[in-house]
Amino acid sequence: MKLAADRLLGIVLIGLAAFVAVQAIKLEVPFSYDPVGPRAFPLGLAILLAALASVLIVKPGTNEAWPGRQLGVKLLLVLVTLLVYALLFTKLGFIITSLLAVTSLSRIFGASWGKALLTGVLMAVISYFLFAHALGISLPSGYWVEPLL
Amino acid sequence: MFDFLIHGFDVALSPLNLGLALLGALLGTLFGALPGIGPINGIAILMPLAYTLGLPAESALILLAAIYTGAEYGGRMSSILLNVPGDAGAVMTTLDGHPLAKKGLAGPALGLSAVSSFVGATIAIIGLTLFAPLLAEVAVMFGPAEFFALMVFAFASMSVMMGKDPVKTAIGAVLGVLIGTVGVDSSTGVLRYTFGLPELYDGIDFVVMIIGLFAISEILLMLEHANRKDGNDGLPPLGRVFISLKEVVTCKWTMGRSGLIGFIIGILPGTGASVGGAVAYTTEKRLSDKDNSFGTGNMRGLAAPEAANNASAVGSFVPMLTLGIPGSGTTAVLLGALMLYNITPGPMMFSERPEVAGGLIASLYIGNIVLLALNLPLAGVFARVLTIPRWVLVPGIAILAFVGVFQLHSNLAAIYLMLIIGIFGYLLRKLGFSLAPVILGYVLGGLMEQNLRRALSISGGDLGILWQSGISLGLWIAALALLVLPWLLPKLWQAKTSKA
Repeated sequence: MKLAADRLLGIVLIGLAAFVAVQAIKLEVPFSYDPVGPRAFPLGLAILLAALASVLIVKPGTNEAWPGRQLGVKLLLVLVTLLVYALLFTKLGFIITSLLAVTSLSRIFGASWGKALLTGVLMAVISYFLFAHALGISLPSGYWVEPLL
Repeated sequence: MFDFLIHGFDVALSPLNLGLALLGALLGTLFGALPGIGPINGIAILMPLAYTLGLPAESALILLAAIYTGAEYGGRMSSILLNVPGDAGAVMTTLDGHPLAKKGLAGPALGLSAVSSFVGATIAIIGLTLFAPLLAEVAVMFGPAEFFALMVFAFASMSVMMGKDPVKTAIGAVLGVLIGTVGVDSSTGVLRYTFGLPELYDGIDFVVMIIGLFAISEILLMLEHANRKDGNDGLPPLGRVFISLKEVVTCKWTMGRSGLIGFIIGILPGTGASVGGAVAYTTEKRLSDKDNSFGTGNMRGLAAPEAANNASAVGSFVPMLTLGIPGSGTTAVLLGALMLYNITPGPMMFSERPEVAGGLIASLYIGNIVLLALNLPLAGVFARVLTIPRWVLVPGIAILAFVGVFQLHSNLAAIYLMLIIGIFGYLLRKLGFSLAPVILGYVLGGLMEQNLRRALSISGGDLGILWQSGISLGLWIAALALLVLPWLLPKLWQAKTSKA
């Protein structure tokens, strides 16, 4: 029998419930006048979650189709782009990283290289002026700019 | 009794707030019209803007509420023109809206839907004005035990009504509540689920949570639709967007009935615009579909869900403003936004912060008129928004998400957390969960625990207090009935028919 995604999910959720419960029990609670304390609520949730997850294992529901290989690669590319955007955001500054990220996302979502690059340049510059100047948000200018100033 | 409303109009008619209502209506309609972006995503993406502008609480709420109602208007564009509902609330709109557009009646269809939305929303706003203060007066009597029971009822109602799979809806809500427990426990100072990371001591931030959950997961999800038919190839000719008086008159009872149905359904916690639209559509089909033309482009079949979904959007403000219990995922986001201003909506809000409650209600009246005025002449412009290709849209959302989170926290940890939550949201959606219960759980969980603990410290740990009063006992019974009946009734029915 094929293992339904929901069954797997149910098992993962029971694991999560156990983790939540163990962490809650391990909490060291100082004396207080609160008769419930911080443990009870998460413990109750863990029990509820485990019960619901068991229902899911017994009676799995329907899922959407999972992405195939081609889509999976794209999905990974989008995530990598967003991660790199985050990693370099403060180091290279808003304009450069946004240009790179927008171009990359644009390309992944089907634009040609030329269009993607144009979108990247326009969006990075326009949004910088919109946010930094019109709305007064402080955006990272990047370490590389500071020596130049 | 209506002092709050007069005061509210004072607030809402100030130039700043009037401008914000206009801006919100415009932005909301634009974002609602964007393919794949419903009201909740629109608010998630635009919310940081409200904080950036440094607005006072009532102004921020007016802006966000205008975005919300505007997005409900905008959502119908893609439903009617492309047969692609922008969000769950607009699904029923496609049934008769798109056939009308295919018949070459896209313009009149958009016009009618704008008028129906206006009528539905107006009925609901009047209902809100009359009903909310009354409910607030009852709710003043609620103690922590009653509030706890009320939240149990809200979660029960949500599990049954929201989404197609009650078990998954409940799991989603529990996960949301669990996410809400991260951070310092306010009454004992104990750190929960922070894993020694100082970034988590204050809990998982609301803005990070909603932008991750809605905006980032939407980006990932859009990748699939990017391969499918895109918006820009099939926009039917719009024609002139007009509405003849005759059509409005034919549909007047439809709009009236559906508006009322939508409002009542909107009040129930957990039942948002999607349920309202569906119930109104099926009711109207039963009542007025004489020639079996519903589903083939019947004007009434379009007016019903459009009036109802706007009415339920407004109706869901009733429990949010009076009880502090949001009626839908989107009002949960608005509730969270208010909590960032240290305002906990609830029965006292009408007396203690009348400028917030009254200002919001007054701004709904104004916003509704603004939206009708914007949508009739500008429908063609808004429809153009549908042709924005995804390779422009997606990077735009990404920039807004990054800037929104960064400007609030100025650190990268928040951005990483946003990405992690985004992946989590994507997985949940792929696994057949809807995200509204997650956000409701996240917003309500903290309040639920507080009320539980407050009730039990009043009683000195005796659990009996939770169902001692008539109100709380009634709510427990109602919650139980909601959970058991849908499962029990068919069995009883079967037993009866098999006997016969």
